[in-house]
Amino acid sequence: MTRLSPAAARWLIVAVVLALWELLPRLGLVAELFLPSLSSTVAVTVADWPEYAQNLLVTLYEVALAMVFACGAGILAGSLIGGVALLRNLLLPVFSSLYAVPIVILYPIFTAWFGIGSESKIVFAATYGFFPVTLATAAGIRTIDPQLLIVARSMNASLSQQITRVIVPASIPTVLAGLRLGGALTIVGVVVSEMLTSAAGIGYLVTRYRTVLDSAHVFAAVIMILLLTVVFDALVRFIERRTAVWQSAGRISRASLREVVAQPAPALG
Amino acid sequence: MTGRQIVLARLGLLALVLAAWEALPRLEIVNPRLFPPLGEVLRVLAEILARADVQAGVAVTAGEVAVAFGLAVPLGALIGVAVAENDYLGRVFKPLFFFVFSVPKSIFLPMFILVFGIGFSQKVAFGIFSALFIVIMSATAAVESVRAEHVLVARSCGATRWQILTQVYMPSMLPILLETLRISMIFTLTGVILAEMYASRTGVGSLIGNWGENFMMRQLFAGVLLLALIAILINESVRLLEARCSTWRT
Amino acid sequence: MQHLAHVTPLDGHAAAAAIEVTDLDHVYANHDAEVAALADISFLVEAGRFVVIVGPSGCGKSTLLMILAGLRHATGGTVRCDGEPIARPDPHRVGVVFQEASLFPWLTALDNIEFPLVLRHVPREDRRRRALTMLELVGLAGFGEKYPHELSGGMKQRVSIARGLVQDPPVLLMDEPFAALDEQTRMTMGHELLRIWDETRKTILFVTHSLTEAVYLADEVLVMSARPGRIVDRIDITLARPRSYEMMATETFGRLRDRIWRQIRAAP
Repeated sequence: MTRLSPAAARWLIVAVVLALWELLPRLGLVAELFLPSLSSTVAVTVADWPEYAQNLLVTLYEVALAMVFACGAGILAGSLIGGVALLRNLLLPVFSSLYAVPIVILYPIFTAWFGIGSESKIVFAATYGFFPVTLATAAGIRTIDPQLLIVARSMNASLSQQITRVIVPASIPTVLAGLRLGGALTIVGVVVSEMLTSAAGIGYLVTRYRTVLDSAHVFAAVIMILLLTVVFDALVRFIERRTAVWQSAGRISRASLREVVAQPAPALG
Repeated sequence: MTGRQIVLARLGLLALVLAAWEALPRLEIVNPRLFPPLGEVLRVLAEILARADVQAGVAVTAGEVAVAFGLAVPLGALIGVAVAENDYLGRVFKPLFFFVFSVPKSIFLPMFILVFGIGFSQKVAFGIFSALFIVIMSATAAVESVRAEHVLVARSCGATRWQILTQVYMPSMLPILLETLRISMIFTLTGVILAEMYASRTGVGSLIGNWGENFMMRQLFAGVLLLALIAILINESVRLLEARCSTWRT
Repeated sequence: MQHLAHVTPLDGHAAAAAIEVTDLDHVYANHDAEVAALADISFLVEAGRFVVIVGPSGCGKSTLLMILAGLRHATGGTVRCDGEPIARPDPHRVGVVFQEASLFPWLTALDNIEFPLVLRHVPREDRRRRALTMLELVGLAGFGEKYPHELSGGMKQRVSIARGLVQDPPVLLMDEPFAALDEQTRMTMGHELLRIWDETRKTILFVTHSLTEAVYLADEVLVMSARPGRIVDRIDITLARPRSYEMMATETFGRLRDRIWRQIRAAP
């Protein structure tokens, strides 16, 4: 028997999974409660689309705000911690130790402080995403070849030029990787907090339908969340590929650096 | 700064944070009912630790984590090694695992509740699910980290297959294995706690959830502090072990 | 320093042995095609000789060495050491030194040298004793407790050589062992190797790219052609022993090197 190519084998696996998803419940081999069939899941999605869409918007709004805070604060903190040796030696191990703590335990505190509306979700998700972004940025800052800065200085680049022309472009790959991770965790943070205590959002729908044992609706909502994370991930990867003009993170060839520094400084200069 | 100075600086930072935790609520700069001062929290912590129901909750959580961990690690290791050793399986499954790994597992929790209910098995199952994929990927990475040259040298020294496994693979993989254990412990703990907070009547997670719902802030803070300390303790101990076994790693 | 010939061998053994290669062919499958790596290789290396194999990249010299080490089975022909076929790796008959020292980074230098003995369950005292003797032989006395990452490239190769010799094999195979070292270290190591050979008088089969190294070290040079590798020439190195650096400037040296180079360039 000739072997399938790995890609073909994977598609086969996916197809089999989808087929089982449809057939096992329909044939009564698995209770509809545990596994609603593919068709019924799709059916309820279409039928109740307005409700899903509305709650999805709430979730997206919370995700967006949380991401701004998580990524913004995370990049800032990460740059400082990674860049300033004193802070790095002092704080980096502390941060990575804290990472071991399940952040979800802070959520009840946030609900007590901020109520069960969007605010607590945003704060929680922002906290959830903040740590990985910080750690990734801090690590990434370190990979920037210090030789590049020496070369830039030897060409008489000003401090702002060094930052904007060397450090920023050189750190884009690692920052994007951190954003990808932090963003995914922010989405998870929002959804999980919505699942725990909420009155709106896709996570809330999951819990509401779960408590009435409506599996099809639960599955539909979870699939939607899944798609959300996949789309976000794909989006960031797309941006990463577009900006990855240089091969290894943080390395710019000497020739292009010369051109880059020779251009007129930006208004901030 | 020397190593000593750094440690002192960190302790100083910690002292500052703890002092702020104590002072800010007491001075009513932050609302002490929402943010109990450190002293209060510690006192209540001692109280709750003495309570039978809290002790039972800790035992339940510990049991769930232990069982989940004890099942996830061997299972994941087996699958990971199989994927690393068999070229075909590797090429088929690695992208799949990568994809599954990048999807956050927490969102599947409600499905586990639909299937398992809200008891012990559900939390263990979700704990296993949370940690399984990282164990698989780490096990694969660990096997692949063994350098082919080392295996060749061992063979040229006349080693049997068993000897190659124990004398080359094991020591070579040890640092990664320890790191895997540490990270999978974190994932398992997180998964179990989440499951307890979401829908459970037993365990530390559910206690914390209850305290939160009932605005019992001091107990809540005490529980959170306890859990955080346990997590950090486990993490740091395994880290120390890792460091001691990895002196030879560049 | 204890002469190696007086160290009790693991069991009765000649100090050196002859290697006999007859009609060796090796073909391997690469995707869908078959590649002939070696063709019709026959030669005899007498006991105690230092023979160097030189050839262009990809000519199969490393494959040949793998077969001689018992790490690979040739598709045709026979390989014998002292009349016995070489069927599998046996560091008691054939010691191997690779290009990458490939020391186990989690073991100290001494532990690395002891490794083959550990595999054979040799008692600890004996292991230690032999390993220390080897360490001294390669000139690294006192460095036994260092880890590989604490050693220089040359030192790591010395440990690798010690490991190859620890079971006192009559034959030592060396696959471009100095290729990864800088030129000065290479010259020193070559000299050291000749000293070790002089003391132990093993049969050494040494593979290299370097023509200078070949002429400097060898009693006899076997020149291989490009793939499929064949032996196209056997050159007796008529330089006196012990070799010295000054010999590299002599006319004889130049002529021998030249002859090898012409053979390599001419071979199809």
